[in-house]
Amino acid sequence: MKTLNRATGRSGEALAARALEDKGYIIIEKNFANKFGEIDIIAKDKGTLVFVEVKAKTGIEYGMPEEMVGRGKLQRIRNMAILYMKGKNVPCRIDVVAIVLSEDNDVVRLTHYENVY
Amino acid sequence: MLVKINSVANVGLETVPVDVEVDVATAGFPGFTIVGLASKAVEEARERVKTAIINSGFDFPPKKITVNLAPADLPKDGAAYDLPIAIGVLIASGQLVPPKELTEGKMFFYGELSLDGTLRPTRGILLLALFAKHKNGSMIFVPSPSAAEASVVSGVTVYPVAKLTNLFGHLMSAEPITPLAHTKYKISDDEELIDLDLKEIAGQEQAKRALVIAAAGGHNVLMWGPPRTGKTMLAKALPGILPPLTDAEALEVTRIFSISGLLPPGIALIKKRSFRSPHHGVSAAGIIGGGTNPVPGEVSLAHLGVLFLDEMPEFPRSVLESLRQPMEDGEVEIVRVAGHVRYPASFTLIAAINPCPCGYLGHPRRECKCTEKQIAKYRHRISGPILDRIDLTVLVAPVEVEKLSITKEHTTNNLTSKEAKTVVVKARAIQSKRFKGTSLYTNSQMRNREVKEFCHLTPEAENFLKLAAEKYDFSARSYMRLIKVARTIADLTAEDTILPVHMAEALQYKQLT
Repeated sequence: MKTLNRATGRSGEALAARALEDKGYIIIEKNFANKFGEIDIIAKDKGTLVFVEVKAKTGIEYGMPEEMVGRGKLQRIRNMAILYMKGKNVPCRIDVVAIVLSEDNDVVRLTHYENVY
Repeated sequence: MLVKINSVANVGLETVPVDVEVDVATAGFPGFTIVGLASKAVEEARERVKTAIINSGFDFPPKKITVNLAPADLPKDGAAYDLPIAIGVLIASGQLVPPKELTEGKMFFYGELSLDGTLRPTRGILLLALFAKHKNGSMIFVPSPSAAEASVVSGVTVYPVAKLTNLFGHLMSAEPITPLAHTKYKISDDEELIDLDLKEIAGQEQAKRALVIAAAGGHNVLMWGPPRTGKTMLAKALPGILPPLTDAEALEVTRIFSISGLLPPGIALIKKRSFRSPHHGVSAAGIIGGGTNPVPGEVSLAHLGVLFLDEMPEFPRSVLESLRQPMEDGEVEIVRVAGHVRYPASFTLIAAINPCPCGYLGHPRRECKCTEKQIAKYRHRISGPILDRIDLTVLVAPVEVEKLSITKEHTTNNLTSKEAKTVVVKARAIQSKRFKGTSLYTNSQMRNREVKEFCHLTPEAENFLKLAAEKYDFSARSYMRLIKVARTIADLTAEDTILPVHMAEALQYKQLT
């Protein structure tokens, strides 16, 4: 089960990256991680640095993917973003991409929320 | 879409309108935030509202929902905002079309939601009803278990709401809820209101007489006697002989109980005078009222009733001293960070004291084992200023075995509470006539000026008092106190002037030194 969830996550991240690229974002880094946490995608939208959290779920019986991104998770991403920027003062924001997959890994819904923090 | 729902906040006994603004945004990351100085209970409304909406068969919009409770600087507490928030979410998400009256601000919503969408009893409904009354054509939607308390208020339409789905049906004009009929409150002078009849208490004629005087003149009583002599029983009998609550008084008492959440579900009005008997472990905040959002304490719950302090010397000194302000002013003012509130606290104090720590000092058959020092220390616990506010002191001696007999009828022991009440009511009528146009209600409230004006003594009575004053070395205050008590005794027999016989009886209740 655990590996299955991880696979869902990986495919979700790939789907999100493609969607962002379609919107004209430039992907800078994927899975930027250290002992404090992980940022799924770091991209650039025109002049703005965008930190993206991707949440993919199979089915919605247990709730929407949006519900799974809570205050604590956003706080962690924020902290990670600060680490990544190393004190540099550049315009930035945090986005969330919520993806619902069907049993056969088809995309049911992909929603991109900008500036959620 | 933004909607505004009307609700209220109760600050003490005052009611402040609160606008519950609910916005369901079309864009933005889904979430649910409540702002407007909300306490933990209000914050948690998030989960209750969300689950209740889903469990009632509606959709909870996966959108960015912001709730603002205005005015923003007033701290809000309690779960009463669940209902207005839920209605706001349903309207703002387009599931419910608001009726005209709602947008005009004539509908008030107030109540706590349970997770399954039913409404739970909520405190302070009566205050909401009284507030809404001032606005013409108001409708209030309140939980049906607590709706009865609002039904005594005329000029406001009360809709008892059992479930969120019922309210939805009503607002959509599909299944209207029948408004609660206005109940005329009539206080009946029923015997069933009496918990403990005077007749049930064996012996203690003097103490019973003191209670009648106390009830008639609003005097505070101190009962002094060994344990197990019936002090508690006597105190419990007092509410039964107090004059019935008037309509206005009943409403006043009910307001206090409503805000405390002590009104039993389904009870519209408190008709009985309260009898509060806090344990001596009570804190000062418990007796006076307190808390971050100050709630009424025992003195306010005993408003227009009886506050009974059993084993008075066992109460912490701070608690006893805090009684001074309410005993003087008939109200308490509580100051906290959240603001200051005023609660009425006009009560009759009944205190029971043992003569010494072991309790048997002066007992006819048992020996007291306390030392002089112990006794002095024990008595010292009650300060002079408190004793000064007590008009009647009565010795409650052990009952003679003969009077306990259940087969023999005692001619001296046949005063029923009903009879006593009739006498008390008459005496009170005389007083209200006397104090017409003043701020006083009872003889006990008279100050020196009124004592001089209203208490006419016959020369014999005055002479008698003078002799007693010389013999016992009365202070000016006890002198006045005796005249006040004598005034009440004279009122009990509908006598205009105070006769020596009244004075003599009053002297029996003088303070012990």
